[in-house]
Amino acid sequence: MRQTILSASVIAAMLFCAGVQAQSDPIKIGVVTPLSGTYAGIGQQVKWGLDLATKEINASGGIAGRKVELIYEDEEANPAVAVQKAEKLLQVSKVDFLTGTVNSGSTLAVGQVAERNNRLASTTVSFADSITADKCSPNMFRVNARAGMQSAALAEWLAKAKPNANVYYLGPDYEMGRSTVAAFKAAAEAKGAKTAGEVFAPLDNKDYSPYFGQIRGARPNVIYTSVAGNDTVRLMTQMAEFGLNRNLQVLGASGTVTSQNLAAIGKAADGFVTGVGYSTTIDNPINKKFVADFEAAYKAQPDLYGADSYGLMYFYKAAVEKAKSTDTDKVREAMRGLQWDTPQGTKTMRAGDHQAMQDMYAVQVNDGKFVIVGKVDADAAIGPDTCTKF
Amino acid sequence: MGEFSRPASSKQINSLRLLAVLFFAISCVFAFIATVVEDVFFLRLATEAMIFGGLALSVDLLLGITGLLPLGQALFFGFGAYAAALILKNWTVSIWLVLLACMLSSALVGLVAGLIAIRSKGVYFALISFGLAQVVSKIVFNTVELGASDGIIGVPNAQILPGLSSGQPTVFFLFALMFIALVYSLLNYLMKTPYGRQLIAIKANEHRVAFLGFNTWRFKLSAFVLAASIAGTSGALYPMLRGFVSPELMFFQVSGNAIINVIVGGTGTLIGPLYGSALLTGLRSVVGSFTPHHQLVIGVLFMIVVILFPRGIIGYLAPMLDRRCQKGQGTVQQEARGG
Repeated sequence: MRQTILSASVIAAMLFCAGVQAQSDPIKIGVVTPLSGTYAGIGQQVKWGLDLATKEINASGGIAGRKVELIYEDEEANPAVAVQKAEKLLQVSKVDFLTGTVNSGSTLAVGQVAERNNRLASTTVSFADSITADKCSPNMFRVNARAGMQSAALAEWLAKAKPNANVYYLGPDYEMGRSTVAAFKAAAEAKGAKTAGEVFAPLDNKDYSPYFGQIRGARPNVIYTSVAGNDTVRLMTQMAEFGLNRNLQVLGASGTVTSQNLAAIGKAADGFVTGVGYSTTIDNPINKKFVADFEAAYKAQPDLYGADSYGLMYFYKAAVEKAKSTDTDKVREAMRGLQWDTPQGTKTMRAGDHQAMQDMYAVQVNDGKFVIVGKVDADAAIGPDTCTKF
Repeated sequence: MGEFSRPASSKQINSLRLLAVLFFAISCVFAFIATVVEDVFFLRLATEAMIFGGLALSVDLLLGITGLLPLGQALFFGFGAYAAALILKNWTVSIWLVLLACMLSSALVGLVAGLIAIRSKGVYFALISFGLAQVVSKIVFNTVELGASDGIIGVPNAQILPGLSSGQPTVFFLFALMFIALVYSLLNYLMKTPYGRQLIAIKANEHRVAFLGFNTWRFKLSAFVLAASIAGTSGALYPMLRGFVSPELMFFQVSGNAIINVIVGGTGTLIGPLYGSALLTGLRSVVGSFTPHHQLVIGVLFMIVVILFPRGIIGYLAPMLDRRCQKGQGTVQQEARGG
């Protein structure tokens, strides 16, 4: 008799454990991001942002009672590698959700893998408009601001700060450089800015002085540039040496002056304005806590990639808890139109093209720091929904 | 040095054939097991290894047989991939038509590139082939009509027969395997013809071949065109597998990896590059999941192989296997050959 009771209770205990086991299986999220190579710095911010949010979520009980597990794969910022890694995560590791891609080529290719495997994916970094416009996918969501929103924020600020702007455009001579200039030009002209002229210098250009004569001859009061990295360092220091930036407002793309090249540019960067979706100085309690925790954990400041990746985890958490499932169709339905809180304020996922709407900021470099000088509401910055695929 | 002056190398061909049979047999067994356990990822990874194996074969034809180092073979691979992606998206999903079109068009591109590159020798040839690939990849990278830096997504699956498409992992793996077996047999056969011997002779001593009254330029150019066509047709399989193309497929990394596959596998053995491709594609995928320093691991491995087995893994195994066989069979075969 005692034997039977004992064995019965053992079996009951085992059943109970099995039940709990199934319930508390972790939710797996695959992160395909560049951990080596040129974009490793961005991949690092993505990882820090995701790790920090995951730690917080797990500490407070996980998503719908289930722990979250992140599985990283290095994609080397190469779509051919990214696709292979994404398939591995989906088919071998059986992840529920994919994120992490940085360059737009990888994001588009991984979005397609997700679509063909009937799983959802998200980018927190890629800003090419096409991802949520003509190349949109029902399985891809973007939680960060796209290029058009950055341009819109900057153009809005320009229209207020310099009502009769005469803008000269200087970009690097390659496809991304040209399309960034074209996008801002369209946004600025729509707000009444005039165009003084435009010129494209080769990538990795050493000497910008040959262009300065043309620029001065066109008599602009604003210069917009989409150069990046070390090109910005050379352009800005040379402009300062020639005294070109006197009485001239310099604007740029969000990647033109970053925390990575700001120190090298030094004082020549002062006064530079750009449009971005995040700044560490955004004044809300979530951001204050986020910046403090981030700095405590990683001894570095978060940038927009870290902030957007951090926000993504709460987006996914909100969606799964609303759907009460990790099923693709149910989560997709829950994600559409979802509102959630992030360090950048409340974001809304637009249902029509899976592009997150958020307040945008114009930030100015002042003494080596980015200071918010203008804010554009989400509705004004987002632009029309041009996705026709779903 | 080398195979040219040593008729006994016919012995080595025997063990190479054995290793070739082994390669295709293992592939078939792998396909069977993978299908039974309903694996998708490894089948598709193996298909990718086959596709890059085709590129490695084309590199071996130039590097191992003819003695030309092509640093830009990815140009033709990428060309074939883009051509196939555009044809699949806009005109037809028939795999046969796509492959035929890519085979011919990449041969044509190979002819143009060959006319430029074959004029020079040695390191100059290597640099010109490298430069050509860089130029074309930059042009593609900046051409909006070709998707610029983003490449082209949304390439549909190719149809092999009604009901069989490149979207079915087992079907497409077997198709790629068949394709590679075909290319391998063709090259293997060519090596036994006078044409193949001319190529080997050019590698051994180009000046002497010219003194014997042969136009080496014509042989080198034809080998280059054939290699371009093989690389282009292999590349055409890529978008059928992955559904997209991007300019990275033309970058030096692809050309460099192909050369590493050839050298690790065994230069000039033809089957070696296929082993190398299978091994390294697998390794890159697996090691990358454990450490972000996977490039370092592959690099060290490459150096170890080059130092310990300068003729590559197959180049090391084949003669060893031969010695084993010789012990067993005695000298009967050798006499037969000699007579």
